Amino acid sequence: MDFDLSDDQRDAAAGARAFFTGSVSTAAARAALEGTAAPAPGREALADIGFLGITVPESAGGAGGSVLDLAVVAEQAGAVLAAPSLVTAARAAVLLESAPDLAAQLADGSTAIAVLDGPVTGSAPSIDAADATLFLGLDGGTLVAGEGVVVPGRPLDATRGLASVRLTTRRVLAEDAGERWARARAVGAVVLAAEDLGAADRAVQLGVAYAKEREAFGRLIGSYQAVKHMLVDAWVGVEQLRSLVWWAAWAADAAPADAAPAELPLAAAAAKAYAAEALERAAETLVQVHGGIGFTWEHDAHLYWRRAKVDRLLLGDAGEHHDTVARLAVAGALG
Amino acid sequence: MDFDDTPDEAAYRARVRATLEEHDAELLHVRPGEPTDARLREAELRATQRVLADAGLVGVTWPREHGGQGGTLVQQAIVAQELARARVPTLVNHIGIGMCGPTVIAHGSDDQRSRYLTRLLRADDVWCQLFSEPASGSDLAALRTSAVRDGEDWVVNGQKVWTTLAHVADLGILLTRTDPTRPKHAGLTMFVVDMHAPGVTVRPLRQMTGGADFNEVFFDDVRIPDGERLGEPGEGWRVALTTLMNERVAIGGAGSDIGQSAEALAAHARDRLPALGADQQALARQAVGRALVAALASRYTGYRRFTALSKGGVPGPEASAGKLGGTAAARLVSDAGVRLLGDEAVLGATADGDETWQRAQAYVPGIAIAGGTDQVLRNILGERVLGLPPEPRTDKTAPFSR
Repeated sequence: MDFDLSDDQRDAAAGARAFFTGSVSTAAARAALEGTAAPAPGREALADIGFLGITVPESAGGAGGSVLDLAVVAEQAGAVLAAPSLVTAARAAVLLESAPDLAAQLADGSTAIAVLDGPVTGSAPSIDAADATLFLGLDGGTLVAGEGVVVPGRPLDATRGLASVRLTTRRVLAEDAGERWARARAVGAVVLAAEDLGAADRAVQLGVAYAKEREAFGRLIGSYQAVKHMLVDAWVGVEQLRSLVWWAAWAADAAPADAAPAELPLAAAAAKAYAAEALERAAETLVQVHGGIGFTWEHDAHLYWRRAKVDRLLLGDAGEHHDTVARLAVAGALG
Repeated sequence: MDFDDTPDEAAYRARVRATLEEHDAELLHVRPGEPTDARLREAELRATQRVLADAGLVGVTWPREHGGQGGTLVQQAIVAQELARARVPTLVNHIGIGMCGPTVIAHGSDDQRSRYLTRLLRADDVWCQLFSEPASGSDLAALRTSAVRDGEDWVVNGQKVWTTLAHVADLGILLTRTDPTRPKHAGLTMFVVDMHAPGVTVRPLRQMTGGADFNEVFFDDVRIPDGERLGEPGEGWRVALTTLMNERVAIGGAGSDIGQSAEALAAHARDRLPALGADQQALARQAVGRALVAALASRYTGYRRFTALSKGGVPGPEASAGKLGGTAAARLVSDAGVRLLGDEAVLGATADGDETWQRAQAYVPGIAIAGGTDQVLRNILGERVLGLPPEPRTDKTAPFSR
């Protein structure tokens, strides 16, 4: 057994960290929320560095990489609240397996693509739909692509680009696509959990840093067990989430070839359920450790809190995924 | 990243499996989840370990010069998995193998190593660890059991508690205070003690589960030859840290389940869910799913730590996170297991006498205390991993006797 990243994946993570910290700041997330600037780094920049095509086949202009390759990059994107989400790239790459022309446009960023949750006659708020021009959806059991009328609501976290969409044109990409749709949603859940991992890790780091510099009652607040234990619990959550994200990404890559088709649904549901609560705890801890300053608009803490409150409900909440895990385990998915 | 055996690991696993099949009739077997009481099955448990030791399956990672196999952590894990698969219970001398033996290897004299280690691996001697006392649990360095030099011997008086296996043990490692005028950590000395020596009294300690897995041990003028000292006088704390580091890896440090396994809960849910009403089923599935996610998160985090160790890493304070996560998972797993019992959840056993889940539930408070309380582990992680400042302390530098 070897449950660790390869040297190449570590290098990729380091490169992604350098790219995201150099091109995105939390100021961008705040500006997007205030409506004064677009979220960073934006679709073109992500396409230029190749992140939108990591799991797109080389024949369609992508890198032909694994979901795990994408997940280690997504973690770094999550740490700085980057937009658009790599969840969209991951999910669309699966859905466009039989449409290399569109996959190529996904990878090179020439078309803004979003994947719709819920009915195509009026979708649920869907990631990155607000700025997209081409939408993928499931109509009955048929996978369709089309243009649509976009209705964004008032954003809670502007970096997610959420909007409801009603399709106005439809091109059929595949009949009987329910299975592919479910796999794409599971892969999307894994990558969402990876972005949440990065955000939660960063939130804990910010909380720890503040606890080492803020004094109260004559000493650093991080020396008080009440504060220390809260941060440790959040950190343990991050470490455990990292294990589930890696396992789920590995399962996503192993699923098509190996004889364990149930492992991706189980692992993806476990990772997404855990991510929802781990990021929420990390973000709430970040605010609480900062005290009053953490409750201000000018502080970054609420930007992570917003991401947590939104992401926990996207692609299924913890309750839905706990139910899925239980059903699959009862059916024998643990082996 | 690969969860499967390498060719070398697969070959080793096949050899282990063949060895276990060859000796199957000589080994004790238990049902899944069946407790093995060393009080009742001591002879069979010792015989089982002896067979395994002679077959080269005990002390896998120990150096060859000390009777071990000089193997890897991965091989150790493979042996553990295959023993579980063959339903062989935990080795009777697990405290000796995991904690006492490594301490003797690190700090014992050549004479002690040659007299003790091979016999330990064969369960010719069963070992226990005599650390905790009624007034020193989390604050272990506050212990009061005294050892006073008298000629070539030391004379020991005091009481130890929560001592696993003391009732069947032949030997123990004993942490004592030899110099109360020095600060608490500096006045300690470690010994190997003969549990059959005059003045050693072992009494079972009944815990809240109703069972008696632990003991109290009383020392009344027990004489220990100076040659049974482990390390120098006053060096006992450093010696004890060797034991404790090995303990943290042994408990939940490398992906082993604490309490009932995820698989056991899934099988239990398969049996019991259909008997619940529709609303209760939905709620029970939520509880089961949450518990399984926690158990898997803890297990895979252990696998990551295990990979790091097998690549040459040393057990560090991060292992405390494994026990913390494993305890949290055990709490959720046992709770979901009990809830699946429906109306029978308020009774001590089901109508057919099964108390698996009630017992698991009653063990959880002990799990959260033994081998480092949740709170002590959070302090360790906060200070040594996250780098947060310690709480101010007044007890570290003052003479213990003050």
